[in-house]
Parts: sequence; structure tokens; C-alpha cells
Amino acid sequence: MIRAKMNKAFLKIFGKEEWYLVTIPVFLILLSFIVAAIIIIFLGKNPFLAFYNLLQGSGLAPKPAYGGHKSMLTDFLSLLNYMTPMIFASLSVAIALKGGLFNIGVSGQMLFGGFFATILVGYSGLDWAIAKPLVLIVGIIGGAIIGGLIGLLKHKFNINEVVSSIMFNYIIQYVFSFFIHGYYIDPVSRQSKYISDASRLTLVNVQMFNLKMDLSIGFIIAIILAIAVKVFLDKSRLGFEIKAVGANHKGANYAGINVGRTRVLTMLISGAFAGLAGVTYYLGYFASIQPRVLPSMGFDAIAVALLGNLHSYGIIAASFIISIIDKGSTYMSSKAGVRQEIASVITALILLFSACSVYVQHKIQSKKDNLEYKARKEIK
Amino acid sequence: METIIIDGLSFGLPLFIMAIGGIYSERSGIINLAIEGLQGFGAFFGSLSIILVGHFFDIPLQKLFYLALLLSMFGGMLFSTLHGLLCIKFKANQVISGVVINILSMALTIFLTTQINSIVFGAMSDKFRIGTSNRFTIEFLAKIPIVGAAFKNIYPFQVVILIIAVFAAYVLNKTRFGLRLRACGDNPHSVDAAGVEVSRIQYLAVMISGALSGLGGISFAYSISTNFSPAIYMGYGYLAIAALIFGNWKVLPTFGACLLFGFARSGGYYIAQLLKMPSTFSDLIMILPYVLTLLLLIFFSKANHPPRALGEIYDKGKR
Repeated sequence: MIRAKMNKAFLKIFGKEEWYLVTIPVFLILLSFIVAAIIIIFLGKNPFLAFYNLLQGSGLAPKPAYGGHKSMLTDFLSLLNYMTPMIFASLSVAIALKGGLFNIGVSGQMLFGGFFATILVGYSGLDWAIAKPLVLIVGIIGGAIIGGLIGLLKHKFNINEVVSSIMFNYIIQYVFSFFIHGYYIDPVSRQSKYISDASRLTLVNVQMFNLKMDLSIGFIIAIILAIAVKVFLDKSRLGFEIKAVGANHKGANYAGINVGRTRVLTMLISGAFAGLAGVTYYLGYFASIQPRVLPSMGFDAIAVALLGNLHSYGIIAASFIISIIDKGSTYMSSKAGVRQEIASVITALILLFSACSVYVQHKIQSKKDNLEYKARKEIK
Repeated sequence: METIIIDGLSFGLPLFIMAIGGIYSERSGIINLAIEGLQGFGAFFGSLSIILVGHFFDIPLQKLFYLALLLSMFGGMLFSTLHGLLCIKFKANQVISGVVINILSMALTIFLTTQINSIVFGAMSDKFRIGTSNRFTIEFLAKIPIVGAAFKNIYPFQVVILIIAVFAAYVLNKTRFGLRLRACGDNPHSVDAAGVEVSRIQYLAVMISGALSGLGGISFAYSISTNFSPAIYMGYGYLAIAALIFGNWKVLPTFGACLLFGFARSGGYYIAQLLKMPSTFSDLIMILPYVLTLLLLIFFSKANHPPRALGEIYDKGKR
């Protein structure tokens, strides 16, 4: 009896068909947090406190004390700053997935765009009015080159894009590590030398209301482009072709769409977004490149894209949530004594559950149908 | 020359056993990109258990070598059931599931390693030291010029891998189970019509692939670093996948591909030493296997025939 009631309540919240795009991701996130809470309880810590610390660390809840020129607002702006490359990277993954391609090389493409933007513009000493747009352009071109190359290899040589992008990830990571170590290393920080402030896509330490804030220019661009991607996929001819190839490439071919060309273009666009993610990451949130490390953001972006149902607005929301986990984890680990690595475990759990979203939807639907069937029977 | 062969074999053989695992899974119709994560989790499980056993029963770690191999296989198998569940029961996209498993494995093992190190051993470390493995030389064979190097300084796991590999190849190609497994990848309906449960065979195939990946993972832990650390996620699992694609999903050509990767890697290091390059050049040598993979795939991908039903979720009602 109680179970039936709980079932009913559950279905009332999550069972509305028109809201599946929202309710199912929310349900999956809840599920991941429940699992994470169990892990944290197992470690002898209070999960609610830990989760509250996540919010505090990311500027969504007040901390007990702040340093000079800092407040909740600065933390929140820093979150937006961190979230910017995440949105770009997830859009990159989403566009490729819409076209039936799995771009797991976002990290490598980020590094590729970020590296060339750093050495070509970041160290150039150009004026900001030229440098900032140039950084974006170099990033877009850099990412698109690698993305397009992966698409071309798939089209011309039938190489699985997953394998080739992973190979590119490693090659890019090691080759650039060699160049950074050899030519651009800062001996103190063991990273590449800092770029000029004029070329940085984040305005750092802007004085306002007696606060020092980091304002991300990229964030505004990210929101605009996210909307543009939605319009592009929904309204444009190429957008339709990409979706058609993704849904059924044989059918698309039969309908007269050039599948190979569309795939290359898909990867080109996807790579361009990854490049944008790279410049907002390396020349925005950070101002240098850590050699021999690929940004884990490129992989987390897969989770974000799936969680957001490959939908622009969904991706913005999902980026927000994942960024909170990433960004708040440092504060959480210092306050609650839960290790920072738990953040990536939570992200991975969300990813794990969102991989089963189709099944969850199917389950909820069949439960609902079952209940309706029973109800109809009782009336009779 | 000798070092190239010795190091090449100790790198190529673990790669080979992982690739065989991949072949099992993919011939049964389940794409397995999770090998990278499975090998890491297997190595984690094996090294964690021998460290705990060694710590609480006061046994020197060297004696627990074979236990480590066995438990790594078990750990890999355990984790691979997750991939099986996601792909077969929950009907997730197999490529995405594989990548998810990799990310989860990396996050989970790094988290657990630091956590367990601080709770049990009171140390801040993301490593489990598992000690070095003994190596041995077969004297009379080692005297043969050039080829003899293959019998010098052998890790015990290399012998284990070879035995298991031969057995696995036999099972896959000559037994009834192997036939059914291969049929699952090409035409699952025929298997169903013959009265065999497709999902059961696929679960078994994924689990075998997990066990073999775990064995490969612990071998890397022993041969490359003498510890388990996040550095185990170097992409060797993906390299194994490239090897099996290059080997056209067949055991013997895959063996050749793995040896090629092994020798390319050790040969690169040898040349770097010979030319007295500074250590920063090691980064450039690291890319050799990956570049080689790409080049080989460019030449051989067109002629490849993956299992026909690879990546499709078996649906009884479908025609």
C-alpha cells in the first residue's frame, strides 16, 4: 500500500511526458547525489554539510568569513568564469553527437587551440582590441583543424573517430609538453609563462563596489553561441543534415545528403567549439598551460552534454550544476574534510546514470502505463 | 638490440592480453572502450588486496605476486559487469558506456587510493607500492643470437599471459562456446534460434574481457612503475583497442600489432639514448606508438571487417 502510494507520488513528479527532458536529468542527478551521500556517510562525515559546502564554495551560499575584497558575488563570478569553457566543450560534444559522431578528443582540441592562441597572441604584446578577438579566432581555427582532420580520417579512411581522437589527444599532449618544456616554461611555476593581460579573455581583479572581481567575457559569448547552436540545428539546412546523418546515415544518404561531407563539417564545427573552450580555459580561467596534462573538462563535458539532453539550454543548466561540484569541491575538502577527489566521483556517477537515461525513461513510462491500466480496470 | 626486444616484449604482451579481452567482447557484439578503465580498476584491486594482505599478515609483497595477478583479474571482471549491465540490461549506447566506465574507474580508484592510504596507512599518497617482480632468464635459449633476447629477463607475468593467450585463442576458435560467441557478434538471431541465450554469452564475453584487462593492468603496474598510481591511465587500453582493430578482430594479427607497438616504443627509447638526447625529448618519443597507430589505421582501416552486429543491442523482436 505504502509502496503504491510512493509510486504514485513519484510518478506525479517525474512522470509527466512533456517534462521528461527536465525531470529525468533531475532524477538522475538526485540519484547520483544519494549515492555520493552514502559514500560520504560511510566515511563518517555529514553529507548535507558537505553539499552545503559545495554551494558555499561556488558562491551560491554565504561563507562564514571572506577575505579582503571578496564576497559571495566574487565567488559566483568565478563560477561563471569556470563554467564558460564547460559550456563550449559540452556544445562541442553535443553537436558531434547530434551528427552521430562521438568527439572524445575535446580535451586535445582544447589544448591545440589554447596552445596556439597562447604562443601566437598571448606572448605577442598586441593591444587588447586586436588581441582578444584574435585569441578567439586562433582558438576556433586551431580546434577546427583537429576536429576536421578527425572527420576527414573517418570519411576518407573509415577510421573510427573515437580511436583517432584518442590518438590525437595523446600526440597533442606530448608534443606540446615538449614545446612548453623546451621554450615557454616558467621555471618557478613549472607551467608555461603567463600570457599578457591584454590577450586574456577574463578581466581579472576589476574593482567595483569595493570588490575585486573576475569578469568573464567568454561567458556572454558562450550564452549567445549556445542559443545560436539551437537555432542552427533547428532552422538551418546544414543543421538538419547533421541531425539526419546522426539519426540514420543510410537514410540520409538515400535522401541525397552527402554523408561524408556532412560528417567532416560536423567535426569541423565541433572542433571549433572545442577550440573556443580551450581559449576560454587556458587564456581565460587560467593564464598559462600546465604541460603534460589534458584538461579533464573535455571528458566531463560528455557528462554535461548527455545530462543536458544535447539541448543548448539543457547544457547551460547542466554546466552550471557540474561546475558547482567542481568549483565547490576545494572549499568542501578544506571545510568538511572530505577529499576533493569525491567531486570527480560524483561527476562520474552523474555520467553513469545519464548513460542509462533512455532506460530510466522507458521504466518510468511503463510504470505509468501499468498504473493507468490498473486504474482503468478498477473503474470498470 | 637486446633491450629493445626485452622491453618491447614486456610492454607488448600485457597489451596483447588486453586486446584479446577486447576481441572477446567485440566478437560477441559488445563494443568495449572500457578496457582502459578495466585495466586500471583491475590493477587497483590487485595491488590494494596484496598490500592489505601483506600489511595485516606480515607477508613480503614479493611472495604475493601470483595472488596479485589473480585478484586483478577478479577485480577487472567485477568492474566489467557494470559495462555489461549498462550495455545489455540498460541498453545504453555502448561507446558512451565504455567512456563512462573509464571516467568512473579513474575517479573512483584515485579517490579510493588516497582515502585508503590515509585511513589504513596514515600516509598522504596516491600510490600503492607493490614492489618489483622477479625476472628470470632461460639460460640455454638465451644464448641464441638476437632471438635469444626474448628469453632474457622475463617477467613471470609474461609466461602467464602467453599461456592464457593460447588458451583463449583456442576457446574462441575451436570450441562450441567460442563459435556461439562469434555468432553473437555476427548474427545474434541465429544464436537465439539455436536455443542459446544471447545476453548470457555477451555477459560472459564482457566479463572475460574484464578479467584479461585486469591482468594486463597489473602487468603494467609491475613492469613500468612498481606501484599502482593514477599514472596507470596512460591510454594503453585504447592502444589495445587500436591493436585489435588493426588486427582485424583476429588473435594472431593482433599479436603482431601489439609486438609492433612494443618494439616501436622500446626502439624509440633506445634511439633517444643512443643519440644522447636530453630528457625533454622523451615526450616526443612517447608519441611513437600513437602516431604509428594512426598511420597503420590509415592504411588498413578500409580492409577491416568488424563483426556485423557490433554495437547493436540485441532485440528479440527485431527482424
